[in-house]
Amino acid sequence: MKKIMNNSNDVVSECLQGLSKSDSSLVYVPELEVIARKEKSGKVGVVSGGGSGHEPAHAGFVGEGMLDAAVAGNVFSSPSPDRIIEGIRRADSGQGVLLIVKNYSGDIMNFDLAKELASMEDIEVEQVIVRDDVAVEDSTYSTGRRGIAGTIFVHKIAGAKAASGASLAEVKRVAEKAVQNIRSMGMSMSPCTLPAVGKPGFILGENEIEIGMGIHGEPGVERTEMQSSVDLAKTLTDHIFSDFDYENSEVALLVNGLGATPLMELYTLNNDVHKVLAEKNITVVKNLVGNYMTSLDMAGCSITLMKIDEELKELLLAPCHTPALMQ
Amino acid sequence: MAISINSRLYVQYLKNAYQSIHEKEDYITELDSATGDGDHWSNMDKGFTNIVEQADSLATKNLGDLFKQVGMTMMSVIGGSSGVLYGGAYIAASKTLGAKDEMDLAELCTTLEVMLNDMMKRGKAERGWKTMIDALAPAVDAFNDGLAEGIPEKELLENVAKAAENGAESTREMEAIRGRANYQANKGVGHLDPGAVTMAYQLRALADTLIKVT
Repeated sequence: MKKIMNNSNDVVSECLQGLSKSDSSLVYVPELEVIARKEKSGKVGVVSGGGSGHEPAHAGFVGEGMLDAAVAGNVFSSPSPDRIIEGIRRADSGQGVLLIVKNYSGDIMNFDLAKELASMEDIEVEQVIVRDDVAVEDSTYSTGRRGIAGTIFVHKIAGAKAASGASLAEVKRVAEKAVQNIRSMGMSMSPCTLPAVGKPGFILGENEIEIGMGIHGEPGVERTEMQSSVDLAKTLTDHIFSDFDYENSEVALLVNGLGATPLMELYTLNNDVHKVLAEKNITVVKNLVGNYMTSLDMAGCSITLMKIDEELKELLLAPCHTPALMQ
Repeated sequence: MAISINSRLYVQYLKNAYQSIHEKEDYITELDSATGDGDHWSNMDKGFTNIVEQADSLATKNLGDLFKQVGMTMMSVIGGSSGVLYGGAYIAASKTLGAKDEMDLAELCTTLEVMLNDMMKRGKAERGWKTMIDALAPAVDAFNDGLAEGIPEKELLENVAKAAENGAESTREMEAIRGRANYQANKGVGHLDPGAVTMAYQLRALADTLIKVT
């Protein structure tokens, strides 16, 4: 294993400390592994979190117009409720807090309990669960669909609505609306190595890829030979289209890298995805290309589409200022 | 004389539970390596070690505050699913115990039942799914039955511990519905569930601690 790290026990805290040093508007809470905005927004708070290893998710999306706090667990494992409640406290300005949770059993249990703790402290908390991955129902760590890169769009939509001064119920409503309209599909070209383990969790052949693999290496739908970018764009979007009709609509598009895939390849794929979308008269209003929801050093990608109406469009295009997304 | 459990006695139980889990490192880790991540013992041991370190301060709290602090410690130190399930159960129990300084056996039975229900709800798990519930649920049944029949306290407590142990043993033939074992070809059949085993250790320690003072 070759990784830029010190002790494997310290990777999460050292990563978050490094992140907070890159942006003076953020604060790192030691031990509890929370990244929060230094100054409270005075509005509805938006909090997300989950296992580490998916950077820049979620701490990289803390800042104006997106999250108020992000809570990190150890690599690929949920943060505990005592950490999450700290994120909630940091985000709460008395207007209530929305939690954005990816659909993994561990995350759901821990965020649920944190929500109960928050109510004991009289903080009003609501929750939305992101389940955008169309690859499989039920998986190693989840019941129902997994939450993956589409979560970034939910951060953006909820954060923009909160920044507008809307109520908790309204912020939750638009976040749910975003979730309903988001679908993702990914593929993996190589395994990832957990810092504490030191060797890859599975093996893919020299020219083999796995379609639909999860962001923790959970099983996908099939293993195939490596395909051209044109074919990949078609394979992945076919899975998405067979689940949700995007034809003749306006969308946000995210072509996401899993950590070890060069931007040159992601832009190439993006080019081909645009061609597929054009054939279906789908208009891309916002396009993100890059590493937004990674899986440590896994090579591969995912494609996410969010169908938007006027309300979602306005929130999507609203300004934000975070380490990983600025507009 | 009827048993009354105050914080001091409950803390004594927690120390005994720590001891019985602590000395089973190799056995539990071996069980867990067969079906799980192999970290169940070390996580549970870390949690109970931390609780024992707080023993003096815990013994001075009322039962509600004691259970809340134990719950918070378990969720943060044990971590993972076990941490949140134990933590959530203790916190749920702390709400029903409130500011009470002591409880009798009937109240202890209710407390265990509250914890069982919280674990089942939070974990969305049923009996027979090869989890720690398969040790706790029969123990609560035996507790309720014994109270209804009015059998002597010593005998009652022994029945509770036995029911937990038999329940843990019964997981050997069960198929896992949740967690990693569910993804194995035989769904863990033939192996004990380590979570059920450590649950049975705790209930045995609880019964023995109380039997000693009757």
